[in-house]
Amino acid sequence: MKYQSRIAVLLVLMLTLSLLFGCTQATPPASPSEPASPSEPAETEQPADTSITVTDMTGKEITLDEPATRVVALTASDCEILFAIGAGDTLVGRGEYCDYPAEVLEVPAVQSGANTNLEQVIDLEPQVLLMSTMAQTEEQVAALEAAGIKVVVSDADDIAGVYENVKLIGKLMNKDAEAEAVIENMKSTFDDISAKATGDGTKTVYFEVSPLQYGLWTAGSNTFMNEICEMLGLKNAFADVDGWGEISEEQVLERNPDYIVTITMYFGEGPTPEEEIIARTGWEGVTAVQNNAILNLQNNELSRPAPRLADGAQLMFDFVYGENAQ
Amino acid sequence: MKQASEHFRFWEYIAFIAVMFATLVLCVSVGSVSVPFENTLTIIKNTIFGLPIPGDISSPAIISASRLPRVICVALVGASLSLCGGAMQGLLKNPLADGSTLGVSSGVALGAIIAIAFNITIPSLPFAGTIVTAILFAFFSLFIILSLAYKLDYSLSTNTIILIGIIYSMFVNSVMSIVITFASDKLKHITFWTMGSLSGSSYQNALLLFTTLIICSAIILSHGRELNAFAVGEENAMHIGVNVKRVKLVILITVSVLIGVCVSIGGTIGFVGLVTPHIVRMLVGPNHRRLLPASLFGGATFLMLADLVARTLLKPLELPIGVVTSFIGAILFIFIFYKTRSARG
Repeated sequence: MKYQSRIAVLLVLMLTLSLLFGCTQATPPASPSEPASPSEPAETEQPADTSITVTDMTGKEITLDEPATRVVALTASDCEILFAIGAGDTLVGRGEYCDYPAEVLEVPAVQSGANTNLEQVIDLEPQVLLMSTMAQTEEQVAALEAAGIKVVVSDADDIAGVYENVKLIGKLMNKDAEAEAVIENMKSTFDDISAKATGDGTKTVYFEVSPLQYGLWTAGSNTFMNEICEMLGLKNAFADVDGWGEISEEQVLERNPDYIVTITMYFGEGPTPEEEIIARTGWEGVTAVQNNAILNLQNNELSRPAPRLADGAQLMFDFVYGENAQ
Repeated sequence: MKQASEHFRFWEYIAFIAVMFATLVLCVSVGSVSVPFENTLTIIKNTIFGLPIPGDISSPAIISASRLPRVICVALVGASLSLCGGAMQGLLKNPLADGSTLGVSSGVALGAIIAIAFNITIPSLPFAGTIVTAILFAFFSLFIILSLAYKLDYSLSTNTIILIGIIYSMFVNSVMSIVITFASDKLKHITFWTMGSLSGSSYQNALLLFTTLIICSAIILSHGRELNAFAVGEENAMHIGVNVKRVKLVILITVSVLIGVCVSIGGTIGFVGLVTPHIVRMLVGPNHRRLLPASLFGGATFLMLADLVARTLLKPLELPIGVVTSFIGAILFIFIFYKTRSARG
């Protein structure tokens, strides 16, 4: 008897709970069927009230009643952009791999990708969640939107895309001027180095993403590295590879690059990435190795769609054309 | 059908070695970058005899420093894994036995990942830390699996070992996930390691593999007769005077050393150890004194060809070799399985 009544209590509890869940799902988040101005919402601003309407990079329209003050960013580059436009203090949660600037690490991590802890995200009560198409699954977006969080998706695969994303985030945070400044800053760095770069596209660069021990991975065309390489008047040795790919060691030897840029991390043990490349058997004949023209960029300057691409480009410019250049 | 000889006959050795060398020559002369065959020959000849390489040959390092050591390492790994597979299948009387079903491969992978995650290194010998930890974990895994199996079943029956091996693999995989979660800063390192790569193999790797293979294959091949007895049944083996427990221990330890070295150099490469013995069994029959040497050469040939596909199919890109072996291996395995079943029925 006692046992049965316990079961009854449990059942009632479950029913009530399911009712509760049913309720949250029944109330749709800000109805997307009434957009402010369907034609060009990203451009229009409504100074009359504080509401903000943007179109994210997947073409989805998002309306905020007021500029966001609590933001969760799952992508490292979005965190970097937030801090670059001076909105770092709004960040209340971050993706697992967000690590720049150092302050980001003090913000609670909510994991990334398929493992994103949705409950934790919802508990942080952000108005906006920033993620990239890479980290996104439709189920996650639907769950977050059902919880009333606006999901803004970025999809920057070139420098122009980074500008767009900076502008987008600037608008969400009501920091348009700061965002413009960041973009201008990037543009002036890029303009400056491409004006000064004297290369005629004959010298080749080989980008090494993972060292020989784990199989060589490189960045081919349609990557930021390729774009910056062209900006510097250089040629990507693996421009025929689309995106990132694992390549054969003998291909590197055959293509004999003039410069090597490696983004391998160095954990403070054994040889540094530069030393390791120089020490490889068979690589003695590679021009870059003979001239010691190897650059190690290990802080993701060139691999993230963020304002620091300009820093990476500057470092590469100094490496190729600077005073100590070979 | 002719009666198969008890031994691996001299001409059969010659035939298998000839096929293996022909494959080796093919794999060294064909690659991502095409080098004329005469140049390849000259480079190899001159490298061996220490002669200077004629100036008209461009980038000889492609052959001498990149392709040749890699092909040699691939051949040695293929031979080792197949020999292990053949020995395990005989010992455990189970057509699915392999380093991976035994749990040794997972153990090795866990060892390597722990070494990467916690920066276990041997001063002045970078990367040796990973290899040594991996081999230690191979022993450690074997010790755990065997002692658990002993506890359950003193005779170390095959089902018990396979069952515990698989449970152990699952357990180890979960531990790996935990380690990876805690060492997320090394995730890239770990991911690349688990994908396994024989690119960038050096002559030092080849020497290490070769030495291990010579010692271990001598031990395993000398137990061919005992393995034959096991194939009939453990009890039968005991009745005809085989020291069942000792032979089992010797073979299991030898196999784990061999797998430990292979996995720590080339990563986990699936299906080679499983499929090769089945293929060569169709050629030379089930007698282990013939099957084991044939697996040795057959495995080298199979993995070299798989590596050739991995290197050249999408050039300049490379496929992970494990993808190729699993793809070809799985199809071959089903084919062989059906063929032997329908022949029997």
